[in-house]
Amino acid sequence: MNRGTPPSTDPAPPQEQGVFNLGELVAGNYEIRSVLGSGGMGEVYEAHDRVLNRRVALKVVRPHIAADYLLREGRALAAIHHPGIVAVHAMGMHRSVPFLVLERVRGLSLDRMIDERRARGESFGLVEAADLLVAIADALSIVHKAGLSHRDVKPANVMLAPGARVVLMDFGLVLPHADRAGHRSVAGSLQYMAPESLTGDLADGAAQLGDVYALGVLGFELLTGIEPFDGSEPVDLYRAKTRVPLPRVTDHRPDVPVVLADLLAQMMAPEAADRPQGAEAALWQLRTVRKGLETSQAPRRFSVLVVDDDEDMRTALTLYVRTAVPDAEVEAIGDGRSAVKSVRRRVPDLLLLDLDLPDINGIEVCMLLRGMQLGSACMIVSVSGRATKADVELLQQLGVRSLEKGPALMNDLVGLVQRMRPARP
Amino acid sequence: MPDPTVEQMLAEARAQFAASLPAKAAAIEEQLARGAWEEAKRAAHKLRGSAGTYGFATLGAAAAEVEEALIASGLQPDAGAAARIGEKVREARVEAERIARGGT
Repeated sequence: MNRGTPPSTDPAPPQEQGVFNLGELVAGNYEIRSVLGSGGMGEVYEAHDRVLNRRVALKVVRPHIAADYLLREGRALAAIHHPGIVAVHAMGMHRSVPFLVLERVRGLSLDRMIDERRARGESFGLVEAADLLVAIADALSIVHKAGLSHRDVKPANVMLAPGARVVLMDFGLVLPHADRAGHRSVAGSLQYMAPESLTGDLADGAAQLGDVYALGVLGFELLTGIEPFDGSEPVDLYRAKTRVPLPRVTDHRPDVPVVLADLLAQMMAPEAADRPQGAEAALWQLRTVRKGLETSQAPRRFSVLVVDDDEDMRTALTLYVRTAVPDAEVEAIGDGRSAVKSVRRRVPDLLLLDLDLPDINGIEVCMLLRGMQLGSACMIVSVSGRATKADVELLQQLGVRSLEKGPALMNDLVGLVQRMRPARP
Repeated sequence: MPDPTVEQMLAEARAQFAASLPAKAAAIEEQLARGAWEEAKRAAHKLRGSAGTYGFATLGAAAAEVEEALIASGLQPDAGAAARIGEKVREARVEAERIARGGT
């Protein structure tokens, strides 16, 4: 199995001839504590940042690798800010060796998790796998929107961190879409590389479609526990990736719905033009598949997220919803950040949102959620005691309805919920 | 014993809320007394929304007056404004105590 460039964080035995030494103080601030990853391209260390008193990851490339790689990675990460993407803190130089200071992401890499499941004879659940693919596509869509291609999407470069955070790592091969010469140089992890990336024969404007391909391969592996293509040499893999019929996920996992199997096949299409045209397009389709899985797997209960910092209001809103739909699944939370986290975890049918929250206010929550393109999947209703006309207008522009706190709220809300979810016979 | 119906739970929630009102009003008085204007404004805002929603319109309106007066003062009321706000809160507390005794 060719896993390509080194994984970024899993602990590994210390290397005898590392670029930096254990215990070494780098640039007068970063104390090297352990080796997290080591490979042909470079090394990643865990270090203690003495000034800010925190753990960080320090990345270096081996002397024969152009330092440009590191600079490109640092600049790419500096341009992107997203919880699904590892953060860069700084770049520096020590003993004439350039190094990158990165967020230390704790957790388990996806390839380790796949290996562990395989060893136990277990596979990922459909919803679990779809959630992971959605999260990775979400992060990747941010990379693509920044005009960049990751070029090394694979399970080893995805970390599953606490709090259900899925983090895309190792941007060592990142390139701007427009860097035509760069894209024609063959680099990456063979199993996950698109046929055109193996030959360096990329069409103009198609740079990001290699990432979509890699995500499809990753999805195949996630669901089946095996890599879809046999071969260790580029020529063998190129043949396997372009030979019809292509492997289908349902050949190994019959319970995968046709719609998901078709989407993965489309993502792994030999011709770049036949794939979803970027991570954003793949994300949209994956979300649709994910939503479908939920409804097909169980008779879904009407779900509502109540967000209000006043416990009395949370109680009232919960009971009003249950007046309309007695078996509604209601989650009630008291702050905006938890609301965004909850929606990212699971999109409710209805979000009842107080505008005046202590941390980030309701309008800011709506703005953050707008980036998730919830569309018709979730109706957002603001519930406020003091919304101004300007607030209401802004909310309307964001597609958010408004209800007022007060004696009419119960009737207003019950009516709205019943219209959304007519009573069952 | 059968599970309570949603209507019974609503009635119970309303009774509990009514019982808690004097303490809420007293808390706002205490915040004003120590000049914690932002805290008082937030508490008045909450009371405005929840009292109105639970059907105690007079109390909700009184809390709204307190909140608006605090906002109008830029959260730095002078002595005169503070006295007027204090008077409104006392009225709110009287109303809260009336509700807690079983008034509607």
